[in-house]
Amino acid sequence: MSDTIIAIRPSAFGAGLRRVPGVAWILGLLVVVFALASRDFLSAPNLLNIGLQSVILLMLALPMTLIIMTEGVDISMGAVLTLASVVLAWVLAHEYSLMFALAASLVTGLVFGIVNGMLVALLKMPPFVVTLGTMGIAQGLALLATDGQSIVVSNSTLEAVYAGSWAGIPQTLLIGAAAYAVTHWLLYQTRFGTYVFALGGNPDALKLAGIRANFYLIAVYAFGGLMAGLAALILTSRMSSGHPTAAIGMEFDAIAAVVVGGTSFEHGNGWLFGTLLGVLAVGALRNGLNLLTIPSSVQVSCIGLLVIVALLIDGFKGKR
Amino acid sequence: MNTSVPLLELRGISKQFPGVKALDDVSFAVYPGEVHMLVGENGAGKSSLMKVLCGAYRADEGEFFHCGEKVEIRSPADARKLGIAVIFQEFSLVPYLSIAQNIFLGREFSGRFPGTVDHARMHAEAKKLLDLLGLDVSTKTLVHELGVAQQQMVEIAKALSQQARILVMDEPTAALSDRETERLFTMIRQLQADGVAIVYISHRMAEVFSMGDRITVLRDGRKVASLLPGEATPDELVHLMVGRSVDRSYARTFCKTAGEMILEVKDLSSANGVKGINLTVRSGEIVGLSGLVGAGRSEVARAIFGADRVTAGEIRLHAAPHRGGPDKAVAAGIALIPESRKAEGLALIRSVCDNLMLPGLPLAFPNRLYKTSKARQIAGALIDRLRISTPSALRPVRLLSGGNQQKVVIGKWLGSGSRLFIIDEPTRGIDVGAKAEIFALIDQLVQQGAGVLMISSELSEIVQVCDRSYVMRDGRIAGHLSREQLSEESILKMGVHHE
Amino acid sequence: MNFATGTLRIGARAADLKTIAYRLAAALAICVVLTAASDVFLTTNNLLNVLRQASLLFLLASGLTLVILTAGLDLSVGANIGMSACIAASVIKLTGSAVLGAMTGVGIGLTIGLANGVLVALMRMPPFIATYGMLWVVHGVTYWFMAGTTIYGFPPGFRALGSGHFLGVPIPVYLMFVFLALGTFFAQRTTYGQEIYAIGANREAARLSGVPIAKRLILVYAVSGAMAGLASLVFLARMNSAEGDIGEAFTLPAIAAALIGGTSLFGGVGTVSGTLVGALILTLVLNGMNLLTIDASWQPLVTGVIVLLAVFFDTLTRKGEA
Repeated sequence: MSDTIIAIRPSAFGAGLRRVPGVAWILGLLVVVFALASRDFLSAPNLLNIGLQSVILLMLALPMTLIIMTEGVDISMGAVLTLASVVLAWVLAHEYSLMFALAASLVTGLVFGIVNGMLVALLKMPPFVVTLGTMGIAQGLALLATDGQSIVVSNSTLEAVYAGSWAGIPQTLLIGAAAYAVTHWLLYQTRFGTYVFALGGNPDALKLAGIRANFYLIAVYAFGGLMAGLAALILTSRMSSGHPTAAIGMEFDAIAAVVVGGTSFEHGNGWLFGTLLGVLAVGALRNGLNLLTIPSSVQVSCIGLLVIVALLIDGFKGKR
Repeated sequence: MNTSVPLLELRGISKQFPGVKALDDVSFAVYPGEVHMLVGENGAGKSSLMKVLCGAYRADEGEFFHCGEKVEIRSPADARKLGIAVIFQEFSLVPYLSIAQNIFLGREFSGRFPGTVDHARMHAEAKKLLDLLGLDVSTKTLVHELGVAQQQMVEIAKALSQQARILVMDEPTAALSDRETERLFTMIRQLQADGVAIVYISHRMAEVFSMGDRITVLRDGRKVASLLPGEATPDELVHLMVGRSVDRSYARTFCKTAGEMILEVKDLSSANGVKGINLTVRSGEIVGLSGLVGAGRSEVARAIFGADRVTAGEIRLHAAPHRGGPDKAVAAGIALIPESRKAEGLALIRSVCDNLMLPGLPLAFPNRLYKTSKARQIAGALIDRLRISTPSALRPVRLLSGGNQQKVVIGKWLGSGSRLFIIDEPTRGIDVGAKAEIFALIDQLVQQGAGVLMISSELSEIVQVCDRSYVMRDGRIAGHLSREQLSEESILKMGVHHE
Repeated sequence: MNFATGTLRIGARAADLKTIAYRLAAALAICVVLTAASDVFLTTNNLLNVLRQASLLFLLASGLTLVILTAGLDLSVGANIGMSACIAASVIKLTGSAVLGAMTGVGIGLTIGLANGVLVALMRMPPFIATYGMLWVVHGVTYWFMAGTTIYGFPPGFRALGSGHFLGVPIPVYLMFVFLALGTFFAQRTTYGQEIYAIGANREAARLSGVPIAKRLILVYAVSGAMAGLASLVFLARMNSAEGDIGEAFTLPAIAAALIGGTSLFGGVGTVSGTLVGALILTLVLNGMNLLTIDASWQPLVTGVIVLLAVFFDTLTRKGEA
């Protein structure tokens, strides 16, 4: 599906093609290494598993790509996802409908996104520290709402979101594909997307053209919050509960996927398909290390190293 | 085509900045289908006039008329409505958007759904514009993949796409090759035939005379002449740009016999576009480095100082080879007073004392222990010596006037044991009194045996202050003028293009 | 809008004093409120407790202050504490030597700091991202190293570092004042300190004044790392046990302490003594919440709000000065 969308815009594909080797190389290397190290890695159930596990990450990494393209970052995303999941579980536990719970979760994410965006765009506060602060707030709220315990929900409709399938394809994958398609459409087919490139590349050009740059910058962060709210549905469904530390730190995996995927912190240089590959690379790394029974702690270290290496390569390319 | 009523007319435009009158009662008219050349020295008021035209600056006084009707230009939006488009030298392009997306940024064609963009139509329209300009590149190419010349063409296409009736270009050929320049000229002639009025700023005599229908000369913010190309020779035009007024306020005793060699630069090239520079500075002399803005003067200074990477050539200080970054240069006794005081010269939020002490810290406190009392004492002495007007050495330097800030930028090198001073635009944005003081200070430095390499856009300064001068053009040294040869006209003749 | 009119007349140093005076006044105000609200607050025990908690936060935040002065940030300090503490703990257990353990702890902290410095200064990576990546690398290695175990029970000599008293005052409080003196001396009374302020105020101007930027940046990140190592020892001695997650809750409060203390994220403004007052204010707030039996879950939320407020005022002030 992504192929057809790319075909409409050969420029993105052409520019992308030259960057493919970087991510694809990493992804390919990981696949080869893990295939050799573990017999189960390339089995169909495991590949499906990688896909399923990567969907939540993808839903954070997609908006994170746009945010990083504006020379910003959102490190509150993991905490906001956690809080949204807690909210969703709490609402369900109080016997409201799933639609209502989902709406509450989306609103939670949206509010955090808009607040982040307004602090960054209107007050010109540094994005890293702003979202560090809102991360603390979201984390605190999640703890407060739960008293540090899980909110367990037994709701068959909710469980069906993650476990269910449609025409033989797991629903989770469909949601992930839809999220990718929508983001791709936003970035490459709409004015909003064009202005996202400009926000990082040359915001003065936007102002000279009479565009309200701040509005679009807020919208970018709001989109991030909204996606976190939606991802909360899958997270809660997968765990059948809302836990106050469920997705803490997941924003780092998202940043890793984006950076590995070839999006740069400078000049509005972003590539959405690269992010998809980056997500798969991070997913494969986590899954492969799991199969080799390497503890999740070391996985985190590996991802940290992956980010530093990707940034070094990015910096090296920038210097030439 | 109606040529009796000007498309746009400016009457009695004045614009005041703190300390300078950028534009003084300038009247200016441009007719449909005409290429109106705007010439003048650096700082004559060309770019100020251009910014007033496009609404970036608001004029203090004066009136605007569009097709004979009185109008106001208070913002870029006003200017755009009148069909004025400006091509700045600094590009307003987004690097990772395609050519077509850049051309139509903010004016995208709407697609089928709200908020979407009709890419097919956008690329088709962009293609037409590129064909018109003879630019043979896919409209889907991302702008960062283009060379400077092609980016310039995209800027022009962007202006054309706005259906501009008045097109303002600031040295559009500066980055273009001969072939691209020819294309640009063909296009300009085409636009002319369509009745577009073009305001064209240039330093290149050849194009001023070949392309211009009329030439307006600005000097010191005033219009000094408006003439037809046949009415003057290039030499007479240069003469008009320079004027006769010779201000003798910074008279100094020129250096009769220069002392020992301090700086010797051989075939120096840098990553920033400087090519094959040879120059020398001896003890006791002020050597000018002049040329037009963008000729590469500051880049030479930065290369010698190690702020830009040197790619070839040799620097010798007191006959010993020198290489390395700014920290090495300072240790070796080079001082750089940079072009931009605020961006490169001063830590604005820090105090006068802190700024004055910075380069000389290792010298004043060799054991690395900083003593506030000693620092105050040294800074106090410098404040007195330079007559920096500040109530206290502890005042944040951002609260000082421009002239006093400039004294701080120079003063901070007096305690660092420097023997070679590279001074880039010593008097930019400061008033006349402070200028005289700054030159007295520079004179003092050379009297004490230092060597000075002085960059200035104000030719009169070079002529009055320097013992001799190099003239740059396009990143190279175009020539050298001795004290006797030195005049504003001789510099301009060497610095402008005569192809 | 000029928020710094005060500096018009009295100069920069005096402005620093004024900044601190205001913050001390704020700290006193909090004390008055807490005295009124809680019987327990104004007891020697509680006050010493506040000081001890503040001292740990200060040790961590003082090194961080130097980093922020250069317009950088070190997000890895919390993870740094975790790793330094855990490895120091196991060295003490293995060798029985507290001295060796302490040296290891500071050494690990220093190494992490140096690595940050190299990434930021030589590889020119944005400080936020470089230290954020480092956070997760260090975090993961620590968890792997500990593998869910806890190391506990250290020799009394070592434990005195965190929980001992001298003349009735906890040892960490002495440490706090020693490092306040050292930090202030370094920042105000050495040319290195002067150069660090200059880098933060205008990096390009500092470079063109001959300041060796890369060396100074590596220095501040190394100091920040070493201070995290030292703080980890105090914490370890106090807790008498080490777990993988030991330092996680420290990053945000450390940044908050520096910002509350008047250090600007935009660089070039701030003092180590201000950070001490900042650490004190934050500890008082958290202690007060504790005394008023407000759920501990409120703490990250409150710290987050405080950080946002501090950055907000910092941004406003800088806009006023521009």
